[in-house]
Amino acid sequence: MLNNHEREELAEHTLSYSRADQTEVIIAAEDAAWSRFTRNTIHQNLAYANANASVRAIVDHRTGVAQTNVLTDAALHEAVRRAIVMAQLAPRDPAQPLLPEHAEYEPADGAYAISTAQATAQQRAELCEAIFRSARSRDFWCAGFARTTQAGISVVNSRGARASFDGTDAAINIKMNAPDSSGYAETYSTDVLDLDAAALGERSAQKAAAAKAPRAVAPGEWTVILEPPAFGEFFSCIVRHFSAQAYDEGSSFLCDQLDRKCVGSNVTIWDDYAHPLAPGMPFDFEGAPTQRVALVKDGVAAAYVTDSYWAAKFSKPNTGHALPAPNTFGPMPRHTVVNGGSKSLEQLIAETKLGLLVSRFWYLRPVDERRTIITGMTRDGTFLIEDGKVTHGVHNLRFNQSVLEALASCEFSNMQTRTASYHYSTVVPAVKIERFTFTSETDF
Amino acid sequence: MRNGIVSSLADATTRGYGIRAFVNGAWGFAASSDLEDAGIDRTAARAVEIAKSAGNHERRRNTSIPPHAYNDRFVSAYTQDPAEIPLERRVALLLDAEKLLHVDQRVTAGRAWIELWRTEKTFYSTIGSRIEQTIYQSGSGLQAIAAGEGDMQVRSFPGDIGLYAAGGWEVIERAALRENAARIGEEAVALLGAPQCPSGEMDLILGGSQMSLQIHESCGHPAELDRVMGWEANFSGVSFLEIAQLGKLKYGSDIVTIVVDNTLPEGLATVGYDDEGSKSVTSDIIRDGVLVGYEMSNETAAAIGRRSNACVRAQGWEFVPMIRMCNLNLLPGTVPFEALFDDVKDGIYMESNRSWSIDDHRLNFQFGCQIGWEIRNGKRGRMLRNPTYGGITPKFWNSCDAIADRASWVAWGTPHCGKGEPIQVGRTAQCASPARFRNVKVGVGYAK
Repeated sequence: MLNNHEREELAEHTLSYSRADQTEVIIAAEDAAWSRFTRNTIHQNLAYANANASVRAIVDHRTGVAQTNVLTDAALHEAVRRAIVMAQLAPRDPAQPLLPEHAEYEPADGAYAISTAQATAQQRAELCEAIFRSARSRDFWCAGFARTTQAGISVVNSRGARASFDGTDAAINIKMNAPDSSGYAETYSTDVLDLDAAALGERSAQKAAAAKAPRAVAPGEWTVILEPPAFGEFFSCIVRHFSAQAYDEGSSFLCDQLDRKCVGSNVTIWDDYAHPLAPGMPFDFEGAPTQRVALVKDGVAAAYVTDSYWAAKFSKPNTGHALPAPNTFGPMPRHTVVNGGSKSLEQLIAETKLGLLVSRFWYLRPVDERRTIITGMTRDGTFLIEDGKVTHGVHNLRFNQSVLEALASCEFSNMQTRTASYHYSTVVPAVKIERFTFTSETDF
Repeated sequence: MRNGIVSSLADATTRGYGIRAFVNGAWGFAASSDLEDAGIDRTAARAVEIAKSAGNHERRRNTSIPPHAYNDRFVSAYTQDPAEIPLERRVALLLDAEKLLHVDQRVTAGRAWIELWRTEKTFYSTIGSRIEQTIYQSGSGLQAIAAGEGDMQVRSFPGDIGLYAAGGWEVIERAALRENAARIGEEAVALLGAPQCPSGEMDLILGGSQMSLQIHESCGHPAELDRVMGWEANFSGVSFLEIAQLGKLKYGSDIVTIVVDNTLPEGLATVGYDDEGSKSVTSDIIRDGVLVGYEMSNETAAAIGRRSNACVRAQGWEFVPMIRMCNLNLLPGTVPFEALFDDVKDGIYMESNRSWSIDDHRLNFQFGCQIGWEIRNGKRGRMLRNPTYGGITPKFWNSCDAIADRASWVAWGTPHCGKGEPIQVGRTAQCASPARFRNVKVGVGYAK
């Protein structure tokens, strides 16, 4: 994979070809490997390596972008030419601000682990085998993946911005299948050596075993405890509301509630690229330093994030949350963190007279954006809590629930965990929600 | 284009290759953009190393290779190469159409877009196939967001994600963006003041693009044979269309026949050959309401004693080929669209998807639409906002008692369908006319 020196050299070289008013060049490289398994065998085993150049040219407040993964001199020169041609044909945008100038940024500790960058197919196969042992010992079967990835990015622009970042990531996801139930476990770290596949396999198997012979429960309003994978996905459905663009176009709940109490006073949500559980890129895709932003502070909707365009439009500071150009979504939080509470998950369960414990959700989609109503399903381990104890697996349920109303009366566990999927990554505790509305059921 | 400003004017090229190697009973896949000889050697060696690593731990299993090798060249049907359309003309179309969305200050955001793809694909395999393909795919659409009084409503056109199909610039012209933009803006504003969709059980008519979504989620995905066999269990789930049900399960009413047709000229997923080198064919999934087939690869088809129906696709060179739903076609019915309303006493007509969710067995679904109209005694009445409906897949399809005729049939393309880990974006199509369903639960998204 291209290292930071090689990327920066390519970026500078590409920049030198441009005669646009302003030019930005991003060189990004990735090397990723996934060992995907089902029925206790690896069935999709793959790796890919790629590097890409993106050129944004601005001419008289007109913007064009060209991208290529052919990194020869001629191809990079051509990308610059194409970007300028498109810029010249684009309508003029008087609000287009200057690109960010160079600014210092603070790298996050632990974002890169050489052990992950050098992980082999054999290592991933051994992680999988450790999980298969938990499955075979119980006559269960498992599906999931072990993956290791490394990625690097360098951003340069004609106003002097220079930023580079290298990061790694490793993960295991397991759905353990018993005859009439299933259990889920996951783990994420920048360092593959942190992943304990055997322990995770056991955890998923114990969940699947505990969920056996699931009973039907009636939909309706329940007290629920959402474990981090469930809460992380639920909460991530409203992350886009904290974008300046969503605020501007009226699709964010912040339109009604900015600087007002929107959830319980115990709710504080950050965007923090330096959180030790999810250290990430300390600048955005324009090379501007990413700020640590309190999105919700003590229950009050506190801020939306910006990039250079929306900062200028709203006369606000640039918080450094630009997505890669071309970008139709506006700025976006990329490293959300929900603060924890004071009790353990076990205490939250022990204090619940009647409720449901949810391991994981599936297929969450907004029903009503402004009211933050989300629908989705439980899956892979949903349990009845009776008199402070987890007593039985239950059939899966569909919910329709406002995120803000859920967080109006909730209690967080004291342990945060990183959870992720292909479209989000977040650090969250488990949460107990007093009133959560399920609207229909399944027979599995 | 967003609010009169080009927010994305981009031209992207990606070039690379993927190598799939079968060694000691296991597959390995490696892909790279490094086209130097040494880079290709390294990537091939990586594919073999990966295959060997899995072979050490996996029960040996036989694979199945395509029964025929092909030497062929395929070019998808198109009338006008988009490359011949000047950029100024493309931008002007979007500027005009997007401007027309802004019928009122309450339209806070207008969007208009065009996406054009040309894919050059070369497939070589050790059984002797040498296949060259050029695929043209195009799409465009509009969206208006209206906000006011604590609410936000959205309207899109055509359908909910635009009109996407195989072909060239003629697909963009067929969408008729300019001609429909003002109506879409007006509907978005009108929805802010429309009454809420009621809750209850009543008859439901779905417009064509919502039928496309319904087919995609409740037939297309569950009929992927890799999903049926558990290959997607951890992520996008399994399927209720179990192999033991083949030829037995009454999936829908007698008028429901759904075929996979990867030869359809306008189908967004149409290719000459799939990414395993199998030639495109037409085959049945649901025939007269009964489950009779799946979307298959070579290996999964062999497991049930059948031949692949060429449903394997990779998003691009860097992705491992996998089963995708390709072009699904709900065969049109015999009645004109307006006749669907005739004997509905109390019902709702819904159009254009806004929200979609289905469980990991593909049974319990809930979909929301952008717009609805009440139906009283065979007549379309008031506009309704926030319409939602839900059900259990086979019960729902068995309640289908009328499908509109060919005059309202459209090959709706879905350009960004996600599946797999790492997630791959697939381009699929669901061809459909509007249809009528009896006694469906509506208003479910707001139920308490």
